[in-house]
Amino acid sequence: MNEQVIEKTSLITLVGPPNSGKTTLFNYLSGQNFKTVNYPGATVEYSICKLLGKFNLNANILDSPGIISLIPNSPDEKVAVESLYCHPQLGIPDIIIVTVDASQISRHLFLVKQLIEANFRVLIALTMTDMLQKKGLHISEKELGRELGCPVVKIDGRTGFGVNELIVQAEQSIEKSQREIIKQPIIFNENIDKQRLIKIYNEIAEIEKKVIHETITPRKIEAANKKLKIFNEPIGKQNRNSIDYTTLRIDRFLLHKVWGLVFFFIIMAVTFTSIFWLAQPIMHFIDESFGYLAKAVHDSIGVPWIGDLLSSGIISGMGSVLVFIPQITILFLILGILEDTGYLARGAMLIDKPLSKIGLNGKSFVPMLSGFACAIPAMLAARTITNKKERYLTIFIIPLMSCSARIPVYALLMAFLFPPEKAWIGGLMLAGVYIFSIVSSVIIAGIINKFSARIIKAQDNSSFILELPSYRVPKLRVVLTNTYYSVKVYLKKAGPIIFFLSIIIWGITYFPNSSPKVDTNNLNKEEIGQLERAERLSGSYASHLGKIIQPVMSPIGMDWRVGVSLISAFAAREVFVSSLALIFKVTGNNASIQSSIVEAMRKAEIGNTGRKLFTPATICGLIIFFMFSLQCISTIAVSRKETGSWRIPILQVIIFTSFGYFMTFITVNGLRAVGIN
Amino acid sequence: MRTAADMEYGERCIISEVDSAHPSSRRILEIGFTPGQEIELINKSIFNDPLAFSLRGTLIAIRRNEAGCIKLA
Repeated sequence: MNEQVIEKTSLITLVGPPNSGKTTLFNYLSGQNFKTVNYPGATVEYSICKLLGKFNLNANILDSPGIISLIPNSPDEKVAVESLYCHPQLGIPDIIIVTVDASQISRHLFLVKQLIEANFRVLIALTMTDMLQKKGLHISEKELGRELGCPVVKIDGRTGFGVNELIVQAEQSIEKSQREIIKQPIIFNENIDKQRLIKIYNEIAEIEKKVIHETITPRKIEAANKKLKIFNEPIGKQNRNSIDYTTLRIDRFLLHKVWGLVFFFIIMAVTFTSIFWLAQPIMHFIDESFGYLAKAVHDSIGVPWIGDLLSSGIISGMGSVLVFIPQITILFLILGILEDTGYLARGAMLIDKPLSKIGLNGKSFVPMLSGFACAIPAMLAARTITNKKERYLTIFIIPLMSCSARIPVYALLMAFLFPPEKAWIGGLMLAGVYIFSIVSSVIIAGIINKFSARIIKAQDNSSFILELPSYRVPKLRVVLTNTYYSVKVYLKKAGPIIFFLSIIIWGITYFPNSSPKVDTNNLNKEEIGQLERAERLSGSYASHLGKIIQPVMSPIGMDWRVGVSLISAFAAREVFVSSLALIFKVTGNNASIQSSIVEAMRKAEIGNTGRKLFTPATICGLIIFFMFSLQCISTIAVSRKETGSWRIPILQVIIFTSFGYFMTFITVNGLRAVGIN
Repeated sequence: MRTAADMEYGERCIISEVDSAHPSSRRILEIGFTPGQEIELINKSIFNDPLAFSLRGTLIAIRRNEAGCIKLA
């Protein structure tokens, strides 16, 4: 190995059109050990990793969103193109590996030609040659390399075939490049002569003719096709560029004018209902385990405050949220499967026209759907939207999508409304909440679109151009790994917040009146415990804080304890559940944490008035509040970053939170007026 | 003159020109709708918009309005 290469860490950038196998190759090269994770919908950030040691080359690999041209059309493409010309930390890549789908070279070579014209050092990784073989065609990488003037290696990113050779080739090219004078890459701009684009395509057509050959005689294919009862088309130029027959057949239903929409709604309905039904048994198990653990810890530790901190503070706090991991996992899993099959792009196409009526775009569909997992990757995924106004409007309404952090809250509130034996009603209600959140976000998007000139302030050409990839059977391993990483990211993000806030909330509810004096006459141990807890809380810091916010909470029928929980929910919505658990001092005296919280909530009264704090009216009010109000600091920060100013995030907080409060006020008082209490 | 927006299901046509005046024309060329290229209309979404064309071995969905700038021979 060349010494220079050992000294310096080279930069290899992966570039390729969407669906060219770029991310698969990247995953193989990095061993899935990269910094950012691919969220459903798109690679939206750059991912960077060290090349695995087994390849014997000291290099960083940079993966960026798929592009079809060096002239970016949307923010995610801009990220990719800029990473080629001038990466802020890493500079110009030593070599660019372009993934090219062998069965799509008539389109995919366009980017290669542009890169070569722009003076980049290019190495082609030719993927999916097996697809070409199925069509009875063969591509010669040597001839292709000669025509283009750059090395070409056939690879398969799933099995690793050819990847070693690719890296050896990359190393040789890097060594060679160090002996040459570096040419500054040429930047293409929007005013490019369109004749030049057409010329590139004409050159590609010539190359295609030279490098693709038929492997078997047409007659053999005809015979084989007859056997398989597939359509018999004259072999020739057309067959080279025909679409996968299965895809066409499936699309006859899934993209049908009427049936397509029916299937669309069925797929969406199955997605959301399965989140609740499938997760139920696992959740029950986790819930009981934490309840048992909390009780065991509480009983076995001698020092009262430490025992209380561990059981009520940490175990109950964390447990009340971790219970929802199964639901979140299922959501990520389904999104992953939908993406991997190629359906998401179809969904975007089907919904483009209706969404364009309210100022959105078909491409808003994937970000909105991701919003049901988490608003943060969803806002990043909105970068695929070309039009600025549509993109900002999508980002604007994403917080209204019912994100997975709200699942714990709704599930608890539903458990309060419906007893365990009628859990299925709760499931239906939860589905109803989802539908309602979609409907209301559509209405709000429509209203904001009307005022868009004042709120969004951006105008652009509205466009929808999207490749519909061939259907594939999802690769379970890939989907599972991605789900695993998504859940891990979720836990890493939410975990510490919940942990620290649990301790803080425990602290402000336990101190300063930590060992209150109560009248212990004629009371058993449990009753003394309850009395002590109530006494301790009423003299706590939390109660002082709560008195300040009481005036805001009274109109919506709630007291300071709910107020404190709502404030803590601004760090992350699911903290609402853990802080309720803490404020109402749920210790593991019952088998499961959730039923303990519900039981404590049923007992809670407003002050000493004897009136119940939680009634069906106030619970419905809380559900409404969580549907609308923007209570997530991370979302606000990402919204600021993605829109480039504070304008949109501030408007989001003000509009959504005040609207949420207003709707809660109407719901609570409305329900009371009609006698539901 | 007929454009890609006027095509029927399953109809195959050759592109003669892409109207440069349309703001999406550059992207439409870049994705492969070039003069001389054969396209086939595969699907129409509800309200007949967007349209999915078979082009160079893949399916591309574009809006009716954008298909209007693809002139047919």
